[in-house]
Amino acid sequence: MSLYSTAVKKPVSTIMIFIGVVILGLYSYFQLPVDFFPKMDPPYISVITFYSGANAADVEQNITRKLEDSFGSLTNLKNMTSTSKDNISVVMLEFEWGANLDEATNEVRDAVGLAERSLPDEVESPTIFKISTSMIPVLMFSITSDESYAGIKDILDDRLIQPLNRIEGVGNIIQMGAPTRAIMVDVDPRKLDAYNLTVEQISGILTANNLNLPSGNLEMGKSDLALRLQGEFENSDVVKNIIISNFNGKTVYLKDVATVHDGLKDVKSYERSNGEKSVRVMIQKQSDANTVTVANKVKESLVDIKKTLPPDIKIETLFDTSINTTESINNLSETLIYALIFVVVVVLFFLGRWRATFIVSLSIPISLIAGFIYMYLSGGTINLITLSSLSIAIGMVVDDSIVVLENITKKLERGGFARESAIYGTNEVSLAVIASTLTIVAVFLPLTMLGGMTGILFKPLGWVVTITIATSVIVSLTLVPMLASKILRTKSPDKKTIGGKIYWFSQDLLEKMDNIYEKSLSWAVGNRWTVIIIATVIFISSLFLINVVGTEFMPASDNDQISAQVKLAQGTKLDETILTAQYLDSVFINKYPEIEIISTSAGSGDENSLAAIFSETGNYIINYTFKMKPRDEREKDIFQIANEMRKDIEVRPEIEKYYVDAGSSRSSGGMGMGGGSVLEVKVFGNDFDETNILSEKIAQALNNIEGTKDVIVSRDREKTELQLILDNEKMTSFGLNTATVATAIRNRINGVTATKYKEDGNEYDVIVRYDEKFRQSTEDIENISITTPQGKIIKLGEITKLKSFYSPPNIERENKVRVVTVSSALSGSDLGTVKASLEEEIAKMDIPNSVSIEFGGSVEDMQESFGSLIMLILLSLVLVYIVMASQFESLTEPFIIMFSIPFALTGVLITLYIFNSTINIISLIGIVMLIGIVVKNGIVLVDYTNLLADKGYSLKQAVIAAGRSRLRPVLMTSLTTILAMIPMIASTGSGSEMWKPMGIAIFGGLTFSTLVTLLLIPTIYTIFGVGKINRARKKALNN
Amino acid sequence: MKAVFISYNQSLTEMVQLTLDNLAIKGYTQWTDIKGCGTDKGEPHEGSHTWPELNNAHLTIIEDEKVTRLLERLNALNTEVEKQGLRAFVWNIENTI
Repeated sequence: MSLYSTAVKKPVSTIMIFIGVVILGLYSYFQLPVDFFPKMDPPYISVITFYSGANAADVEQNITRKLEDSFGSLTNLKNMTSTSKDNISVVMLEFEWGANLDEATNEVRDAVGLAERSLPDEVESPTIFKISTSMIPVLMFSITSDESYAGIKDILDDRLIQPLNRIEGVGNIIQMGAPTRAIMVDVDPRKLDAYNLTVEQISGILTANNLNLPSGNLEMGKSDLALRLQGEFENSDVVKNIIISNFNGKTVYLKDVATVHDGLKDVKSYERSNGEKSVRVMIQKQSDANTVTVANKVKESLVDIKKTLPPDIKIETLFDTSINTTESINNLSETLIYALIFVVVVVLFFLGRWRATFIVSLSIPISLIAGFIYMYLSGGTINLITLSSLSIAIGMVVDDSIVVLENITKKLERGGFARESAIYGTNEVSLAVIASTLTIVAVFLPLTMLGGMTGILFKPLGWVVTITIATSVIVSLTLVPMLASKILRTKSPDKKTIGGKIYWFSQDLLEKMDNIYEKSLSWAVGNRWTVIIIATVIFISSLFLINVVGTEFMPASDNDQISAQVKLAQGTKLDETILTAQYLDSVFINKYPEIEIISTSAGSGDENSLAAIFSETGNYIINYTFKMKPRDEREKDIFQIANEMRKDIEVRPEIEKYYVDAGSSRSSGGMGMGGGSVLEVKVFGNDFDETNILSEKIAQALNNIEGTKDVIVSRDREKTELQLILDNEKMTSFGLNTATVATAIRNRINGVTATKYKEDGNEYDVIVRYDEKFRQSTEDIENISITTPQGKIIKLGEITKLKSFYSPPNIERENKVRVVTVSSALSGSDLGTVKASLEEEIAKMDIPNSVSIEFGGSVEDMQESFGSLIMLILLSLVLVYIVMASQFESLTEPFIIMFSIPFALTGVLITLYIFNSTINIISLIGIVMLIGIVVKNGIVLVDYTNLLADKGYSLKQAVIAAGRSRLRPVLMTSLTTILAMIPMIASTGSGSEMWKPMGIAIFGGLTFSTLVTLLLIPTIYTIFGVGKINRARKKALNN
Repeated sequence: MKAVFISYNQSLTEMVQLTLDNLAIKGYTQWTDIKGCGTDKGEPHEGSHTWPELNNAHLTIIEDEKVTRLLERLNALNTEVEKQGLRAFVWNIENTI
């Protein structure tokens, strides 16, 4: 017994099975976590090596190069970039997407082990660092305070960070910009010299005086008591009264030679939030935890935590990645519901009957729910990709049910009985339904085979659509005939009821439409060459739109975020930088009501921390993060605001370089989505001067091209350094060596951490160094006293000379060659156009032989993914042809049907142009899908024409009659898909920009190709005369 | 005894069976999924893509007095849903075992 007859004959089992599926689906739905994108682990591993005191060139020579050489033979290594700057070398290894990162990490570890032997001795062991999406912070708080500012670090550590760390799924919590308490011992060198003391001696005395030591056990009578010496500082006041020496019989206290104060460590950074002093706290999640869940839990417990904090501490959310995710998902879910309503309305309009509409519409929730079961079983999430797959599928899942129901209705109207009509009606169309679904699957299944990043994005899309469509076929072959046999009525509705009015209204309208179409079709078939010429002209002229409609990698989206970086001249003092920062703060706060929170940070903070690797910091650099109000509460989008901000920054003469990055795409290293594209030009070459000159030229050229913003050369100008040059002879004659001199200088300028003062379980550094007024000029440096082993005090000036020096601050390399990257954000123009005009400019330049130029950034991504998408389009074309050719058992008919595909492209280009959108990977995916969707119309039309031709109609009669008869099904199935896209296009909420191009592409492509299919395909059919040939062949066979 | 051969559109299977049951006709032979085409009118039932419908057929051997009643009922059914297609043919049975 066939599937459908079983289903019809066992209605209870059928209903129960589907109820089971729905329950399973709902269960999956409520279990599914929400995320922005499918889980993707970026295949990056970085190796970080600290080499204190070395400048960029040293680091490059001694560390970076050696490491790079040993990494050359790693398997699956795609790209290797490195940055060598003062004190630190970072080698970034990019592997192929999908490579096994655990294996890769092991290989990297081995390679590091080999290279380590040849590294200088003073180098710290390289750290291997796997970069994962979990490092993108989930939440960032900006915390402002008044009275508690001095002690905020400990307050936050104890009362905020510790409780938050206990939450499941929370990874690292990083505090940035908090002031650190320290006991500063600022010595007066003249007094030291007078008492014959050195910084080292003072530090030694402090260490020796701050000690708790177990001193053994004392056996007294019958007891055994532990003996302990308690010598640690009881409070910070004790420090200044420590006796450090005896001079001429007089006791010298520390306070005699130094000022001791318990305060904050030298503030090396400036952190403000909305202009107020602030601390930033960044929360990362564990790699397998879900962003939204973690963020919600943190926010929940924050309510309680806030109560325990001092009242002057205010916590504000600087950014919350979960909000964007939740909003985008909510928006898309809303879109999905509108799409559902549209589809139901279309079905009701065409069928005109409540019951039929109900049966057809039932296939929507059931198929979509099957999608959720797949997501749950595959460990996926509800994300933008899976949800938009559902909104694409929503218009297509009704198609099969419509076809089945239509045939059953036809049988019923001819007087068939319910059960038989349902069974045999389904039987007759089952093959056609399966075949037309196969063409859709032929397009979506290859998506699951895509590699690289596009693969990660579109694999779930391919699966979800394939599975929902497959489910819809099953529904149309089981549930639909079963329900049709039970509840379908064929009686024409009464004109007086509401249902009847709708029925007659729509039927009248459709009847008129049928007539108009029949007339146009007869004209078209009569004037077929005119039709074909017009169509060809339209198609070819539309191709010119390719140049007008721009190309880019990903559509820019407004994610309520802007970040900016401002660089003053190299070597600018932090105080000066702060003045600029304060000025800009006040401008931004007053001028842009759209800003919710503005967070400013300047200065380097902890230079050797890991955070310094990912964001560029320095005393001359100001970093901004702006959180905007939600999109619907402001008029300007982030791109407009960014443009205005650029003007505000530009007017300050002290600013050398800056960028304003709408959407923060630069700072997230391209891993975060949103924001606009960044065009990068890489200039390879080992000679600093040649590459500097060329990159400046390219930057200039880019600046002159319309649509470029924030042109930045990655290599900073050379910076001035003061170098101490030792006179070796003199130095040795005093019995000194380089190491002692170097340490002595460091201890006096940078300071020496003598010991740790303990209070309430926390430890604070006790730092000894020269008072600030004795380390301000080159003279002060020359006046530094050093005690020789003979006990003689000499001045540094006697054994060294000071010299100014220029050195490159950062050396970047890619695949072992030095590289300078010139990058530009784009606004008002698109990637393709800017690239083309830049290429023209570059061609005019005089490029030395040793230098080569490559495009990178979004251009590289774009070329890679466009390449794989075009391959995908070709593959889909072939697969669709194969499916159709076997369905029709003919080579020409699929060919005729495929004429509708070029016009889909025409439609896409026209609508992209009208909606001012671009060709990007999202709209290209739309085009891929269109291949499967548009041929469906052709299949329906040609199939029925063949049928009529077989039944004995003349070619022309068959074409026209088939057209008239198939107009409604074609329009209905197309309209459901087209209208399902409208909510996607019309949505303006967060994340909508991302999916608009796909909606636009499918909307335009399908609309246009449907209209063309309806006239052009029948016309071409008559030309090929396939029907005739077929009949002739059949006759020959029969005879 | 007469033989009645009923050839009809599959969609009518249940109705035909019901008619036989109502007349207490117990014995029959049935063929399913068979092709057929009417002599004067009606579409071919070929189970092909062009003519997707198929026929079933009943052959039943009944007493002479039931024949008229059976044909009447079948005729009524056929008039009700003429487009579906139903024909019945009667002939004599010479002998049985």
